[in-house]
Amino acid sequence: MVLVLALGDLHVPHRAPDLPAKFKSMLVPGKIQHIICTGNLCIKEVHDYLRTICPDLHIARGEYDEETKYPETKTLTIGQFKLGLCHGHQVIPWGDLDSLAMLQRQLDVDILVTGHTHQFTAYKHEGGVVINPGSATGAHSSITYDVNPSFVLMDIDGLRVVVYVYELIDGEVKVDKIDFKKTTTSHSAH
Amino acid sequence: MEPLHKTYLLKSPELPPLIQSPLVHYSTMLKDKLKLPDKARRVFPDRLGSLVSGFNDKEEENEDSASETEVGKELEILLPNASGSGEGSEDDYVEKIEEQRQSGIRQGPEKEGTGLVSVKEVIAADDKRSDLEYELSQMEINLEKLQRIADTGLPEGGGLRATVWKVCKQLLLGYLPPSRDLWEKELSENRQKYSKLKQELLLSPSQFTRIKDESLKSNEQSADNDGDGLLRRHEISQEDHPLSLGKASVWNQYFEHTEISEQIDRDLQRTHPDMKFFSGETSFSRKARPTEEISPTLLIAKVNNKSSFKVNDVMHFYLQEAMRNILLLFSKLNPAIRYVQGMNEVLAPLYYVFSTDPDEQNAVNAEADSFCCFVRLLSDSVDHFCQQLDNSAVGILSTLSRLSELLKANNEELWHHLEVTNKVKPQFYAFRWITLLLTQEFNFQSILRIWDSFLSNPFGVQDMLLRVCCAMLLCIRSRLLSGDFAANLKLLQHYPEINIEYLLQVARDLSPDTSSYRLSL
Repeated sequence: MVLVLALGDLHVPHRAPDLPAKFKSMLVPGKIQHIICTGNLCIKEVHDYLRTICPDLHIARGEYDEETKYPETKTLTIGQFKLGLCHGHQVIPWGDLDSLAMLQRQLDVDILVTGHTHQFTAYKHEGGVVINPGSATGAHSSITYDVNPSFVLMDIDGLRVVVYVYELIDGEVKVDKIDFKKTTTSHSAH
Repeated sequence: MEPLHKTYLLKSPELPPLIQSPLVHYSTMLKDKLKLPDKARRVFPDRLGSLVSGFNDKEEENEDSASETEVGKELEILLPNASGSGEGSEDDYVEKIEEQRQSGIRQGPEKEGTGLVSVKEVIAADDKRSDLEYELSQMEINLEKLQRIADTGLPEGGGLRATVWKVCKQLLLGYLPPSRDLWEKELSENRQKYSKLKQELLLSPSQFTRIKDESLKSNEQSADNDGDGLLRRHEISQEDHPLSLGKASVWNQYFEHTEISEQIDRDLQRTHPDMKFFSGETSFSRKARPTEEISPTLLIAKVNNKSSFKVNDVMHFYLQEAMRNILLLFSKLNPAIRYVQGMNEVLAPLYYVFSTDPDEQNAVNAEADSFCCFVRLLSDSVDHFCQQLDNSAVGILSTLSRLSELLKANNEELWHHLEVTNKVKPQFYAFRWITLLLTQEFNFQSILRIWDSFLSNPFGVQDMLLRVCCAMLLCIRSRLLSGDFAANLKLLQHYPEINIEYLLQVARDLSPDTSSYRLSL
C-alpha cells in the first residue's frame, strides 16, 4: 500500500500565493511515501514545503521553474508499476493524447504523469494510464483562466492502482476515485 | 468425589515409616531457621502436592503408574481435612511430611551448588518427564497433579513445556479444557477466531477498499476495462480517501495506528537480541524469502520439498511479523491501554515456547495460540498498565504496597532497613519486576523455569509473582542489610544471578499475603 502524491503547476509566487488552505490541512506528513511533481513550482520555498510532506520527492522541470537542475523527464518504479514524469510543455500539441502516448511509449512506462494544461484528465491508453493532476493552486494557464485547484493521490497496491482525485470546487473539496488494474501482459517483442 | 477417595485413606499409614527414618533430626533446625507458623503451611495445597510428587520421583520410581495416581488422590482429600479439622494423627503426618520435604529439598540446592550432576538428578528428571507424559496422555487431566509437577520445573524439549503451559494457563482461565478429546476442537476454534480477528482489524485500508469495491462494482469494472479513452470517475464520500481526517475513516484510524506500530517494531528489534531465535537471520530467511504474501502452512509445504530447511526455520521467518501482529491486535482490542513498552518482553517467552514445539501443527499455529495465552496472561495484570488506575485499589501502587506488606510479614528487619533506613521504596525496583513478570531480571532459561511455577500456581500468577519478588529480596538479605541507599538500589535494579530452584523454594515457604486474599480466577 504505497501512497504517491502527484501535483504540479503551482506557479508560486507569480500566479498564485499558495496552496488552498483546505489542501494544506489534508497534506499532513507521515502518510505519503512519494511525491511526483510535474514542475512549475516555481521557487525553492515550495520545494522545501513539499520536502516536509515527504522526503522522497521527484520533480520534472517546467518552463518557469527557477531551479535549472531538474530533469526534463524522469522515470521511477514503485511496486509493480513504472511511472513516468514530464512537465508537458515539450509535448506538442499541449495535452494531446496521441502525442502523450508517444512519450509514454518512449519512456516505456505504465503511468505517465504530465501537467502544463492545468486541467485534470485521466486517460487509459494501450494498457497504460496518462494522468494530468492539474494545478494544485488553481493558477491560470496559458490557455484559460478557468482553473479549479486539483491534485491526485495514487494508492499503489500490487497490480492495482486507485487514483483519488482531489478538486476544490466552490470552496469545497470533492474527492473522486478511479480504479485501474494493470494487466500482466509482458511486452511482445516487435 | 469425596466418598470414593476416602476408601484410599487407609493406605496412608504405610508411608510414614519410610519418611521418618533419615531426616527427623533436621526438623528442629529448620523450625528455628524458618520462623514460620506451622499453621500457615497447611493451608496451601500446592506444597503438600510438591512433596508428594518429589517423593514419587525419587522413592517410587519402580512402581507402576496406578499407585502414583492413587497417592495423588489420597493427598488431595487430606488437604481439606488437614486445613479444617484437628484430628491428631493426620496433623502429625502432615507436619512431618512437610518437614521432610523441606529438608529434602534444602539438600537439593546444596548438591547442585557443587556443580555435579548426580545420577539421582538425571533419574529424577527422566521420571518427571514420564510423569508429565503420563498425565498429559490421560483423557481427563488431573489439573492439580499437573500443577504440582510443573511447580518443580518442566523439562526442556519434547514440546512438553508448551503443552503444559497451555493446559495450565487454560485450566485456570479456560484455553484447553481438562479433557483431552476436547483439545482439538478448542484449538482449531481459537485459531479460527484469531485469523478472523486479524482479517477484520489488521487489514490495510487499500485492501479494505478493494474488498468493498469488489462486492459492489463487479459489473461496472468490465466496462472500464474494454477499450481506451477517458477513465470514468466515481464520486466517493469524504471518509473514503487516504487523506481523510474524519474519525470514522478507515484511513485515519490506520494512520493513527502507525505510530503504535512503529513503536512495536522498535521494541521487537530490541527483544532478546542475544538470542539467535529472536534476532538472527537464519539461512532460510536469507535464501528463500517469498516475494508475495504466503501463509505459513503453504510455505512449509513448499519447504518440505527442500529438506534442508526445517519447520523451525520457517517459523523464525515469521517471527517478527507474528509478534507484531499479536501486539498490534492486542493494542487495537484494548484502546484503554493500547501498547505499553514491555509487553513484547512478556510475549517473548510465550511465543518462544509455542513455536519451538516439535509438533508441526502446534508450531505453525504458534501465533494464534500465543495470542490467546498472552491475552489471558495480561488480563491478570492489565490494571497495572493503566495510568488512571495507578492510585486505586487494583493499580500498580497497591500491588507494590502489598509486596511491602509481604516483606514486612516475613522479615521485619529487612523491611525496616529498606523502607525506613534506606528509603528504598518498592516503586524504584519492583515496578519492572511486577509489570514485566520478571522477564528482565534473569536469563532466558531461568525465566522459563520461573514461569513454570507462575503458571502452575493454583492461586494465580500474581500471587506467585509477589512471593517470588519477596523471595528475591530475602535471598540477598545480608547484602541489602549492609548496604546504603545507592548500593541497595543498584543491587536491586541489577539483580545478581542466583540459584533459581532455591529462590522458588524460598518463595513457596513464605507466609501468605495477608492484606488481600483473593483467588485470581
